[in-house]
Amino acid sequence: MSIKASEITDLIQARIKNFDAATEARNVGTVVSVTDGICRVHGLADVAYGEMLEFPGNTYGLALNLEQDSVGAVVLGEYQHISEGATVKTTGRILEVPVGPEMLGRVVDALGNPIDGKGPIKAAKKSPIERVAPGVIWRKSVSQPVQTGYKAIDSMVPIGRGQRELIIGDRQTGKTALAIDTIINQKGTGIKCIYVAVGQKQSSIANVVRKLEEHGAMGHTIIVAASASTPASMQFIAPYSGCAMGEYFMDNGEDAVIIYDDLTKQAWAYRQISLLLKRPPGREAYPGDVFYLHSRLLERSARVSSEYVEKTSGGKIKGKTGSLTGLPIIETQAGDVTAFVPTNVISITDGQIFLETDLFNAGIRPAMNAGISVSRVGGAAQTGVIKKLGGGIRLALAQYRELAAFSQFASDLDEVTRRSLERGQRVTEVMKQKQYAPMSVAEQALSIYAVNQGYMDKVDRKKVVEFEAALQAFAKTKYADFLRQLNEKPELSKENDAGLKKICEDFLATGAY
Amino acid sequence: MADRATIARPYARAAFNHAQGAKALAEWSKLLGAAATAAQDPRVARLIGNPHVTGDELVELLGGLSKNAAGEGGTNFLRALAANRRLALLPEIAAQFERLRAEVEGLVDVRVIAAREIAPPQQKKLEAALAKRLGREVRMHIQIDESLIGGAIVQAGDLVIDGSLKGRLERLGTALQNS
Repeated sequence: MSIKASEITDLIQARIKNFDAATEARNVGTVVSVTDGICRVHGLADVAYGEMLEFPGNTYGLALNLEQDSVGAVVLGEYQHISEGATVKTTGRILEVPVGPEMLGRVVDALGNPIDGKGPIKAAKKSPIERVAPGVIWRKSVSQPVQTGYKAIDSMVPIGRGQRELIIGDRQTGKTALAIDTIINQKGTGIKCIYVAVGQKQSSIANVVRKLEEHGAMGHTIIVAASASTPASMQFIAPYSGCAMGEYFMDNGEDAVIIYDDLTKQAWAYRQISLLLKRPPGREAYPGDVFYLHSRLLERSARVSSEYVEKTSGGKIKGKTGSLTGLPIIETQAGDVTAFVPTNVISITDGQIFLETDLFNAGIRPAMNAGISVSRVGGAAQTGVIKKLGGGIRLALAQYRELAAFSQFASDLDEVTRRSLERGQRVTEVMKQKQYAPMSVAEQALSIYAVNQGYMDKVDRKKVVEFEAALQAFAKTKYADFLRQLNEKPELSKENDAGLKKICEDFLATGAY
Repeated sequence: MADRATIARPYARAAFNHAQGAKALAEWSKLLGAAATAAQDPRVARLIGNPHVTGDELVELLGGLSKNAAGEGGTNFLRALAANRRLALLPEIAAQFERLRAEVEGLVDVRVIAAREIAPPQQKKLEAALAKRLGREVRMHIQIDESLIGGAIVQAGDLVIDGSLKGRLERLGTALQNS
């Protein structure tokens, strides 16, 4: 923080001037016990559920258990200085975090305090972290796409603005990489991104921040970090804080994407808090309301109508819809999707992207299992050209999977089967994509068009990746204008079809691959 | 303690209901108050946990100390406590009993901590204002604490009205630290 001495005087003066010295009546209680961040407080007769409590030493807590004689509260932050007999006051407020465009480019903790050393955030607005999701009247169906920049995802499991698409898989299958690339690909699209890191290593979070900065993607991104070393209470509220920050953009007629990385850890933190609060454990020792924990969070991801935006912005913003796209991440243990939290979140979201270790190790990255990954609403939002071309991809892969197992036993195959297999192998190859290399709609269309139309059938399977790279490079140098036009008007019109065909044929004619 | 309060509640309520039925609230109050004070005394407290001392002896002792203020009913109550080994809960029971009694009688105990002596006319004014604010009769307990510097703190149950200079300075301190 760099502030001049004279500025400090001004700052203090301003704060003294604004200080409200009025006497206030407050409900108080005394701390009976402090255990692992949970305080039992005697008194506080008028406290409300979820109300913020003021502990000594500028520490706050949340009232989570209201019992006959005492209140169970969770301390937000450090609790070592709170001792038995300490006075606790009610505040009459529920927990709030700063929101607004000022937060962009910053790394904050679960309470919205900056932790990136870039000085205080001058956010004009605050918003409660828990809010009821917009009702049905105010919603609009999903109709615009969020481009992840991945051929495999944008063609087969398209994501729409306002959708909730789960990213699920074992550790080390590229879940975070997928999320980070999605953020990078939103550069220049006007979509704001919020990345909520829950229970991760500080070093992983630092890596994410560095990668985003390298790719110039921090400008449209807020990072909410509750690392593994922060108390469970912070890890529990971090997704809600991030959601409140995302809702600000939705309420103001903008589009935002929020990534919860990951909700398994949040459920663990909540389980810890619940057990310490002596709530009865249920399946896998989670409390009874883990489903609600995630459903109320993900339900806040929505696409809202222009009327809603007009209402929330006080009539200032008219004729604009807003959206908050949710990309929760769940880590499975040894591919077990039937565990408690994965099944819950699968049922809440509008589709899922399954990432598998076997595929990842076989070099298929993104390691998406195309057979069981679905997007239930994204199809309506898919760009025209990708939608038309992507149908062929799904079909080719489905046939390939069916035949691949079967062909292991048969020695000689008929022509049709062989061709299906070859096509499937090539499609699988084309779907491979490196990290930090998102592709535009036109680039994706070109690759998919080339493999769909059989231009790659004669290429050796191991050379497909190189062929595709060469094709893209060729198109970029010779047909940049066409690609730009296609990006602007992404439809499979006759001219565009002819244009794609021309690129492929010209490229084959050069024989440069 | 939360758990002790929970265990004490049925005893306090039973004692209160009985006392209310017998119209002997004041007597029971006296009994429980005296017994609670006695039970808190370290010498008596040691006896309560002692396996060599029988329940009857304890009842006799506590009853004697409280001069059997509530008659046969009171002795029976102590006997029931002794039989269930809940004599150690007497302070909680007495406190809850007093709270129930204050509620029924429309009385509220208010602790006023002031920086310096409050003059009688001011006391009257304060009492009237508090009675209006709380909607019931007020029983004032005034304490002097010079560390408050100025003003006073009013405590009525869980409600605290902090009008002291010390409290204000503390709030100014936190306001300066937070943006």
